[in-house]
Order: sequence, then structure tokens, then C-alpha cells
Amino acid sequence: MPDPTETTLATVFNNREAIGQILIQRTPLAGFVLCHRDDQTNDHVETFAQAEDAIEIARYDDDGNYRPLKTAPNLRHGWRLNLADADQLGRTIDYFYPGRLAMIEAWNQNRLITTSLRDTLNRQSGMYRIAAKISDEQIEEVVGNFCRSSDGCLRTILWKRDGEGGVASTELPPEKFDPGFDQTGKNRRAVPLLCQEGCSLLVNECREAVKGETNE
Amino acid sequence: MEHRLSTALLIVAHGSTVNPDSSAPTLAHAAEIRRRDLFADVQCAFWKEEPSLRDARFLFDPKTIRKVSVVPNFISEGYFTQTVIPRELELNGKVTRRSDGQTWYYGEPVGNHSLMTELLVQRARETAPDIPENEISLLIVAHGTDLNENSAVAAKREAEKIRALGRYAQVLNVYMEEFPMVSDWRELTSTPHVVVVPFFISDGLHSYEDIPVLLGIAGKGSDSAGGQGGDFFQRGPYRIDDRSLFYASSIGTDPRVADIIVQLASRAAGADDSEN
Ligand code: SF4
Repeated sequence: MPDPTETTLATVFNNREAIGQILIQRTPLAGFVLCHRDDQTNDHVETFAQAEDAIEIARYDDDGNYRPLKTAPNLRHGWRLNLADADQLGRTIDYFYPGRLAMIEAWNQNRLITTSLRDTLNRQSGMYRIAAKISDEQIEEVVGNFCRSSDGCLRTILWKRDGEGGVASTELPPEKFDPGFDQTGKNRRAVPLLCQEGCSLLVNECREAVKGETNE
Repeated sequence: MEHRLSTALLIVAHGSTVNPDSSAPTLAHAAEIRRRDLFADVQCAFWKEEPSLRDARFLFDPKTIRKVSVVPNFISEGYFTQTVIPRELELNGKVTRRSDGQTWYYGEPVGNHSLMTELLVQRARETAPDIPENEISLLIVAHGTDLNENSAVAAKREAEKIRALGRYAQVLNVYMEEFPMVSDWRELTSTPHVVVVPFFISDGLHSYEDIPVLLGIAGKGSDSAGGQGGDFFQRGPYRIDDRSLFYASSIGTDPRVADIIVQLASRAAGADDSEN
């Protein structure tokens, strides 16, 4: 029986060459070579060979700043990761984009449940309870600014604004909600990074908006 | 181990949007436990990092994984273990049956385990290996006045347990923001040697900067080690007046915490199904 990890990966990466900002190339010996999608033709890169090296690579951006949101489009450049097999590939992707492969698997199996932003906000307690007071207009703006693929986050949004099915933000293009779209804008066949529910960083942005503390 | 076949382990922790070291021990414990091959799967989830606590509900395929043991990597019971984690993971108590057939077991926080006391003692010994224990004052540092965790109570309990061993000249629980204060260590202790162990789940601003400043081994805002706060732990002992001060990294970074997590996970999964 094939290893379940390999089966999932094979399904996920079938005919796909990238995930987020990472290019994945197969080697003749059933291994994989990963690099930043901007670095495909760059030979001046540091070479790594362990899945665990991805933890360090993913931690800081090009300027050395900590990356609190791993799906933000600020993965650092200048590295190449040679991996021996599909098992290592799975672990590596999980270090770069924690949990995203499991979400795709759940989505493929029709068991990924989305949660509207209103439900997420209404559930908060403590210092985040106030975030629920955000207006629809503020949501438009906060989500439009914070989640946009160009400089916010590369995930594909699956959640709605509220129980009535309102779109998360009309300031975002329709492609932001299309798992078939390559959010980097490079227009290649990429594995989508799914967002089934607003993240804690977005909840915090909503809170800041309510408190009138946004820097906008 | 019978859990191997169908039980997964989920370690949940706070994580941080500013401190890259916050999640590091949790990830390291997960990697170590994965190596031991005791569970069908080992995953982490965080309040402030990815995968999120909400993602965690979808991390395990119900077709292959029937049971999930959840262990909070927290120093004590509190707001997170009692409110945030159960709410985000949709747990209804110690045992939760999901409609997909999975059963989730909710374990105790890591800091509650009785092995913690042993780890603190071992950490103290490793930090000052050549000093007789009866010449040492051992300080267990917690945050104190922390609305989210009962860390002060937990530190006090640990200090009492270590004191009862009768090995150290003195054992004190001290706090950053309430009395007895860590900054008063010179007055609180009378031995030539003082060992300080932070009772935190990970290293960060508190152990790299705040506590060294309060101890008087670093200036405010200084980082004489050149950016890596962890160097404070290597550079001891610090000679202050006629005393030597030994400073350990946070107890949660100890690799033996992995043993605690495994035990708590097994204990949780062994919970009587009739409990809920
Ligand atoms: S809510 Fe989703 S799309 Fe928006 S920033 Fe967070 S993870 Fe990205």
C-alpha cells in the first residue's frame, strides 16, 4: 500500500509546479528541488538539504524581519533546498506553509468547513471581543488592505463576510476567491494556500480598526 | 504502545507574532516525539501562529485517525487552557466526540505535570554543576500579575515542592511584577551562590531582556551579546558583589518536556469515555 503522505502529495502536486512563492522541480531520482520562484535562474543561492532547514528559511524575510504570517508574500530569496523524497517534500512544505497541505486534503475530501468573518469576530473574548463591533464598511477596507495578495497574504479566501454570504471584501479582485488562480500573479499552475477562516492577525486588524488605531 | 495505530497528538501553544523563539520549543518537542514513533501523527497548533487552533480541527483525516490527544504547552491552567483552546478547537470537556467519528481528548497543561519539579531541579544542577546544593539559593521566576495564567501559583507550588526535598539552602518563588520581586534577589537570598530558573514555556523578551535587567546582569535596552539574547545563559556565572549568579534558560526549552507531553497525551486518551 502506498504511503498515505505520498498519495496526498501526488494528488496535490499533480501537474502543479509551485505552492505560494515556492517552485518545486522533480529530479530524475524521485527527489525534489525547491527554490523561491524568483530564483529559478539564479545560481548564486545557498544550498540546503534537510526538510528542517525550511524552518530557518521561512522565519525571516529578505531584510531579516520575523515573518509572523508564513503565507505573506515575503519569503526570502537566495536559497535552494534539495530533498530526497516525497516524505521530505511534505514535511518541508509544512514548515514553509504550516497546515496548508492538510487544509487542501480536507478540502479535497469535502470536510473543510469555512467560517464567516462575523462568526469569527463574534466568538472572540477578552481583549479581542471589541473587534465584533467593526462595521461592514470597515471590514471592506481592512480585509481589502490586509489580505490582498500583492503585499498582504497569498491565501485564497474561502470564507464570507457574514451569514448572508456577503463577499469578504469587494476591494479584492474576484481571483482572490478562486483556488484555481495563482495568487503570486505569475499565472502558473500553483497549489492554492486556502484560507477557510480569518486568521488571528486579521482579527487583530479588525480590533485596531474599531479602536481607531489603524495607521491608514 | 496501543495508541500508535490510530491516536494522533496535537500540541497547542501560544506562539507569537513578534518573537520567533516563542514556538521553537513546541516545534522541537513535536519533532522529538515524532522521532519516537509513538503516535499516528504529531502536529502543533498555535493561537498566534500557523497552523492556527482553528486549522487544527482539519489536521487529522478521520478515516485514518480515530483519536486525537490534545496537550496544551502552557505553564499553568488559565484563560487559554480554560477558555480559548476549548472554544477554538470546539471541545466540550475532557472527551469530545465529533460528528466525523473522531474522539478528541483534552489533557492537562504541561506545567501541571509532577515531572516539572524534577526538571527544575535538574536544570538548576546543570546550570551550576560544581556547586554543592546546600550552598545554593534557587529562584523560580514567574511573571506574576498575569491575568491570563496562574503562573504565580504554579511557581509557588513548584518552589514548595523543591523546598520539601531539603537539598537547597533556600528555594524561592519570585516574580517580575509582584512581590517577592526577582530584582530583590540580593536581599532575599543569603548564600554565596544563586541559581535562577525562569518558569516559562519558551524564551523571549522576558528571559532575554527583562529578567537579566531585573537581576542586574544587563543594562536596560542593552544587548551586549550582539543580538542573541540566548548568550546570557552561556556567559554565567555572573559575579555580583561577592556572590555568583547562575542564570538558566526557560524551563520549557528543556528537551525532557517531550516526555511530559507524551505522558499527558497518554493520560488524556486513557480518560474514561463515560466522563462526557
Ligand atoms: S485572513 Fe486569511 S487571507 Fe487574510 S491575512 Fe489572514 S490568512 Fe491571509
